[in-house]
Amino acid sequence: MIRHLAVLLLLLGLGAAFAGLMAGYTPDEELNLTGRYYAENTAKDIGAANIVTAIIVTYRGLDTLGEVTVLFLTATIVGMVLARGRRERALQLELPPPGELLETGSRLLAPLILLLGAYVFINGHLTPGGGFQGGAILASAILLLLLTYPTRRFGHRMITVVESVSGLAFISLGVLGLLFAGGFLDNRILPLGEYGSIFSAGAIPIIYAFVGLKVGAEFSSMLVNLSETEGK
Amino acid sequence: MMAEVAMATGFMLVLIGLYGALTNRNILRIIVSFTLATTGVNLVMVAVGYMHGRTAPILDEAVPAAEAVARIIDPLPQALVLTAIVIGLGVTTLMLAYAYKLHESKGSLDITKFTELKW
Amino acid sequence: MVNALILIALGLGAAFLIGLLPSRWRGLAYAITLAALAAMAAIAGGWVWYFAMEGGQALEIHTAGTPPPFAVALHLGMAEAVLTLLVTVTSLLSAIYLKDTLHRLGRRAMAVLLILTMSLAGIILTRDLFNLYVFIELMVIATAGLVLLSASRFALGAGFKYLIISQLVSILMLIGLIFAYHATGTLNIDGMADAALITRQGGMLAFFLLFIAMLAELKPFPANGWALDLYESAHPAFSAILSSAIAGAAALYAVDKLLLIGGTEWLPVATAVGLTSFVAANLLALPQDKDRRLLGYSSIGQVGLILVVIGQQDILGDDYLFIAGGILLSHAVAKAGLFWLSGFIPEQGLSAWSVLRQRPLLLFGFVTFIAMLTGLPPFPGFYAKWELMGALADADRIGVMILLLFAALVEAAYLFRWFGYVIKREPNEGIAQPRPPLRKCLVVHSATAIGWGLAWVWGELSVHANLLHALPLLFALGFLLIEGLPAWLKNSVAIAGLLAWFWLSYPGYDPMQLIFGAVILVGGALILLASYHAHGKRIGFYPSAMLMYAGLAMLIVAETSFQFFAAWELLTIGSYFLILRGKHSEPHALSYLVFSLGGAFLILAGFSLAAQGADIFLVSALSELSEPLAPWIFALLAIGFMTKTAAIGLHIWLPGAHAEAETDVSPMVSGILLKAGVFGLITLALTMGKQQLFGIELTHVMLWIGALSALIGNLLAAFQEDAKRLLAYSSIGQMGYALFGIAMMNHLGLLMALMFVINHYIYKSMLFLSVGGIAKRTGTRDMYRMGGLITLMPLSFIAVLIGIIAVSGVPPLSGFGGRWITYNAIIDIETRLPLVILFLAGPIAFLYLFRLIHTIFLGQLKDEHRKLKEAPFWILLPQMIFVVCLMIFALVPGLALRHVDNYINQFYPGGGLDWAGLTITSQYGYWAPIPIMVVVGAIFATLFLWLVFVNRKAQKVKQFNIVFAAERPHRPETTHFAWNFFAPYRKALGFLTEPYVTRFWETISEALHSGADLTRRIYTGNGQTYAIHLLAFVVAVYLLGVGL
Repeated sequence: MIRHLAVLLLLLGLGAAFAGLMAGYTPDEELNLTGRYYAENTAKDIGAANIVTAIIVTYRGLDTLGEVTVLFLTATIVGMVLARGRRERALQLELPPPGELLETGSRLLAPLILLLGAYVFINGHLTPGGGFQGGAILASAILLLLLTYPTRRFGHRMITVVESVSGLAFISLGVLGLLFAGGFLDNRILPLGEYGSIFSAGAIPIIYAFVGLKVGAEFSSMLVNLSETEGK
Repeated sequence: MMAEVAMATGFMLVLIGLYGALTNRNILRIIVSFTLATTGVNLVMVAVGYMHGRTAPILDEAVPAAEAVARIIDPLPQALVLTAIVIGLGVTTLMLAYAYKLHESKGSLDITKFTELKW
Repeated sequence: MVNALILIALGLGAAFLIGLLPSRWRGLAYAITLAALAAMAAIAGGWVWYFAMEGGQALEIHTAGTPPPFAVALHLGMAEAVLTLLVTVTSLLSAIYLKDTLHRLGRRAMAVLLILTMSLAGIILTRDLFNLYVFIELMVIATAGLVLLSASRFALGAGFKYLIISQLVSILMLIGLIFAYHATGTLNIDGMADAALITRQGGMLAFFLLFIAMLAELKPFPANGWALDLYESAHPAFSAILSSAIAGAAALYAVDKLLLIGGTEWLPVATAVGLTSFVAANLLALPQDKDRRLLGYSSIGQVGLILVVIGQQDILGDDYLFIAGGILLSHAVAKAGLFWLSGFIPEQGLSAWSVLRQRPLLLFGFVTFIAMLTGLPPFPGFYAKWELMGALADADRIGVMILLLFAALVEAAYLFRWFGYVIKREPNEGIAQPRPPLRKCLVVHSATAIGWGLAWVWGELSVHANLLHALPLLFALGFLLIEGLPAWLKNSVAIAGLLAWFWLSYPGYDPMQLIFGAVILVGGALILLASYHAHGKRIGFYPSAMLMYAGLAMLIVAETSFQFFAAWELLTIGSYFLILRGKHSEPHALSYLVFSLGGAFLILAGFSLAAQGADIFLVSALSELSEPLAPWIFALLAIGFMTKTAAIGLHIWLPGAHAEAETDVSPMVSGILLKAGVFGLITLALTMGKQQLFGIELTHVMLWIGALSALIGNLLAAFQEDAKRLLAYSSIGQMGYALFGIAMMNHLGLLMALMFVINHYIYKSMLFLSVGGIAKRTGTRDMYRMGGLITLMPLSFIAVLIGIIAVSGVPPLSGFGGRWITYNAIIDIETRLPLVILFLAGPIAFLYLFRLIHTIFLGQLKDEHRKLKEAPFWILLPQMIFVVCLMIFALVPGLALRHVDNYINQFYPGGGLDWAGLTITSQYGYWAPIPIMVVVGAIFATLFLWLVFVNRKAQKVKQFNIVFAAERPHRPETTHFAWNFFAPYRKALGFLTEPYVTRFWETISEALHSGADLTRRIYTGNGQTYAIHLLAFVVAVYLLGVGL
C-alpha cells in the first residue's frame, strides 16, 4: 500500500513535469527549419514522393540502419535467451489438428500476404508504407503458417540467410554512397529517375526492399523462436 | 485542439502505464504496462509534429512539390515515431523472452521472487 | 584517416556476416569477430595518431550527402578518437578473454558483442540527438543480451531488472527529445546548443528529461541497484566492458555532449549528482565483501567522480580533457583489469584473492590497478587529481574539494584493505589454485602495460616533470625487473644505489638538506646492512623499500609543490608496502595508509589553495602568502605533516605499524621515514612562520601538541609489555620533542629539532635492530618472557645500553647535547605550561628505558633461553657502527651542527651558538663534550669497580632455589617481575594513557561502516523497487534542479 502511494506521489511529480511541457507547448503555424528543408528539397534532391520515406531511408538512414540492427539484435538475443539451458525433450505436446479451413485458408492466403508485403515495401517511396510495414506484413504470413502448423520446424537457416544477406546489402549500399555519392547511405548512387514512378528516388526502393526483407526475417525469427517454446 | 487532446491522452497513457509497471508484481503485467506507456510516448511524439489544417507529407497530384511547404505537416516526427515503435517492439520482445525464462527457472512470475542479488 | 562510418559499417557488417556462416563454424566466426574488432581498434588508433601526432583538426562527418541538421552527422575530434580506441580495445581484449564462452554460445553472442562495440562507437561519434537515442537503445539491448554470457543463474534476473530501467529511461528520453526538437526545429546537438534550447519555451523541461535520462545510464546514487546486480552477476569480461566502455566512456561522453546544449547552467546539477554518487558509492562499498559487487560500487563511484569533473568544466579550461581523460582512462584500464582478474578467482569473497600471491605478474597487475584507481603517482589519475584540486581551490569550490577528498580516502581505504587481504590472508580451505590460460593472463598483462604506458603519456603531457623520468623512481622500479636474483645481490645493488645517489646529489644540497640526505641515504644504506641477514629472494622487499627511499630522496630536493607532493605520495606508498610485509601487520599497515593518505590529501588541499591557480608553485613561495588564506594553508599542511610524525591524536597507526614490521624494516620506518614529517614541518615553519587563526597563534598550538606528544608518548611507552611497541611509542615522544623545537620558532629550537633528527635516527635504528635481533633469537617480543640475556648477548646489551643512555639525554652521549640545546632554547620562550609538560616527559623516558634494559638483560635467565646465541652478525654490524657514530657525534657534535647553525642564521639571525674549538657556548653556559665524557667515564668506572668489589662476597644461589607456592596462577606471566612493571605509576598516571584517541577514530570508522551497512539495504534486489528509486531520483532532481 505504501508502495502504491509512493508511486502515485512520484508520478504526480512526473505528471507536473509533463503538465509543464504541455503548458509550454504551442503548435507551430509554419514548418520549422528542418521541416521546411525537407518540404522544399526532398523532391529535387532525393526524388521520393513520400517525404517520410526519404527521411527514413536517406536523411536519417543511419537511424534506420540502427533500427534494423535493433531488430536483428533482439532476434539474436531472443534466440540466445531461449536457448539458454534448454534441454531437448523428445516429448512433444500433442496438439489438435489445425482443421481443413485453417489449412486451406492459410495455403491460399500466405502467398498473397507475402505479395502484399513486397508491394508495400517496394512502393515505400511513393505511398504510405515501406520496409517496416512491408516486413511486418511478410512476417504475418509466417505467423499464419505457424498457427496452422504449430509443430513444424521452420527453416531457421533460410531466415538467418535472408536477414544476414539483406543486412549486408544495406550496409554495402551505404558504403557505396560513401564512395560514389555524397556520403554514407546517399541514395544518389543510382539515377534519381522519373519523379513519382516506381523506378525513382535512386537507391531508396532497393534499400527499402532489403529493409523489408530483413524486417520480415527478423520478425519471423522472433515468432519462430517464441513459438518453439510451446509444447516443451 | 486535436494536438492537445492527443498529447494529453499520450501523457495520461504514459502515467497510467508507469503506475501499472511500478505497482504490479506480475512480470507479464509489468511488460504490458510498459507497452502502454510506450504507446503513450508515441502518441505524444506524433501530436507534437501535428499542424492544424495540413496534410500528410506525401507529394502527389493533390500536394505538388511546389506547394509542399504550405500544405504538409512536419515529416520528421513521423519518421522518428516509426523508429521508436520498432525499437519499443524489440525491447518488449526481449522482455517477453526473459519473462519466459524467468518463469521457467522459478515457476513464478512474481518479481519479488527474483531478489537473490542485493545490497 | 579512415572515415568514421567505415568503423561502424565494419562492426555491423561483421555481425551480419557471421550470421551467414553455418553455426558449426564457430572458429571462423570467432576469427571474423576478432579481426573486425582489431580492425576497428586499428582505425581508432589511426585517428588518435592523426590528432595527437599530425595535429589534425576535428572533423564533421556528414551522411546522405546532406549537411546537418537535415541529415545525421558525426563529429570526430581528439576526445572521440581516444574514447573510440578505448571502447574498441576493451571489447577486443574481452573478446580474447571470452574465447571459450563465445565458442560455447556460438555466433549469436559474437554478433551481439560486435554490435555492442559498434553502438558504443556510435554513441561517442554521433552529433544527432535521435541517432544518439538509437545507439543507446542498441547498447541497452546488447547489454541485456551479453548478461547471458554469465554462468550465474541470477544473471537473467539482473538482465530483466536492467530492461525495466531502460524502458523508463527511454520513455523519458523520447519525450524530452521530441519537445526539444519542437522548441528548436533541429535534432543536431550543436544546432540545439546554438538555438539555446534551455531559454526557449518548454526547452528547460525538455532538456531536463533528456539529461536525467542520460544521467540514469551513469547509475547515479540511489538509482543504481540494478547496476550493482548486473556487475555482480555478469561475466567478468562483460563487466569489464560495462564498467570501462559503456559507463566509463560512452555514457559519460553522451552526458558531456548533452551539456553542450544545457550550458553552464546545468553544470552544477551534474556536479551534485556526481558528488552524491562518488561519496555514497564509496561509503556503501565499505561493508561489501563480494569482489565483483565491490568493483561495481567502485565503478559507480569513479563514474560519479568523472561526472564531477564534467560538471566542473567551466573552471578547468584547457586542462579539462587532461583531467577528465586522466581519471577516465585510469578508471577504465584499472576496472577492466580488475574485472578480468576476478574471473581467475574461484570464489567471490575478497580473501579468496589471496590465491593471486602465487602469480607475481598478476599480483603486480592488481597493485597497478589499485594504484591507478586511487590516483597514486605516477599514474594519470595522480596528475589529474592534482590539476583538479588546483582548479577547484582557485575557484573557491572548497565544498566540492572536501567531499572529493573524503570519498577518495574512503575508496583508498577499502581498496587497500582488499590489497592487504591479498597479501596476508590465507585462502579458504580447498580453494584450488587457479590455472588461467595464458590467453587470459595476457589480456590482464596488456591492461597492466597500458596502465604504465598511460602513466608515461600523462607525465609527458603534464606541465610538471614526468615522474617516470625521475631517476630514483626508475631505480626503485628497476628492482621489479631483478626480483629473480638472490636477496644479497639485490641488497648490494640497493646499498650502492643509495650511496651513489648521495654522492651525486651531495654537492647540490644545502646544509639542512645535507642532514636529511645523510640520514636518508647514508643512514638507509647503513640499515640495509642488516638486510644481508635475510635469505632467499625476498620478493617484494626491495621495490617497496627503494620506492620509499626514492620518495624521500625526491622530497628533500623538491622545489615545486607538485614535486613535493608526488614525492610524499611515493614515500607513503612505498613504506606502506614495506610495513605490510610484517607477519601480523595487515590491520596496522592499513591504518598507517589511511592516516598517511588522509594527511597527504590535506597537504594536497593546502598546496592547491596556496597555488591560487598557478601551474607551478614553488614551495619557497609559501612565504609570500597572506591573510586570510595563509593560516588555513598553514593548518592544513601542518596537520598533514603531523600525521607522518604521529603527533598525539594522529598517532594511533604508529605503534602497530612500527612494532609489527620486520626486523630491518622497523628502523627504516622509524629512524628514517618519520623524518619526512619533520622535514615538512621545518619547511613549513621556515617559509610561513607564525600564522594566526581566529586569533590563536598556530605555532603555539603546535607547541602544545609537541609537549603532549612527548608526555603521552613516553608514558604509553612505559606501560608496554612488547619491547618493539615500547620503542614505537617512544618515537611518538621523540617526535614530540622535535615538533616542540620547530614550533618554538627560534634559532635554537630549530637546531634542537635537527639534533633530534640525527639522534633519533641513530639510537632508534640501533635499538630497533637490537631488540629485533633479540626477538629473532627468543621468538618473542614480550619483555616478561625474557630476562638475563646479558651474558648470552653481550653485544646487543652494549648496543641497548649505549642506546638508552643516548635516548635519555644524560651525559656523556649526544642525547645530552640534544637536551642541552633544548634547555637553552626553552629558557627564552614565554609559554610556561607546555614547557613544564615537556620537562615532565623527561623523567618518564627513564622509566621505559630502564624497563627495556632491565627486563631484557638483567634478572634471571629463562630456562628455554639457555642455549641462545648472540644476534646474527648482519644485524649486529650496523648496531656496532651506530655505537661508533654515537661516540663520534658525542665527542664532536660541531662536525655537522655548526654548519647547520650557520645556515639557520639566515632564517633566525642571532641567538645561535658559539662553536669555538671543541666547546660550544650559548648565552647561558657552555657544553664541552670531551671533559664531560672524561668526567662521566671516570665516575662510571669508579662505581663499576666498587660494585665489583662489593659483590665479591655475595652468595651465589641456583636459579630455581625458591619456594613454590601451592598455587598455580591462571596467567603465569603475571608472576614475572617484568609483567606490569610500572603498576604503581599506572595507578597514578593511567588516566592519561586511556585510549581516548583510539576510541575516537574507532567510533568514526564504526559509524561509517554501520551507516553504510544500513543504507545499502535500499538495494532490495527487487527490480520494481529499483525503478521506483529511479523515478524518485528523477523527481528529486526535478524539484531541486528545475522546480526551485
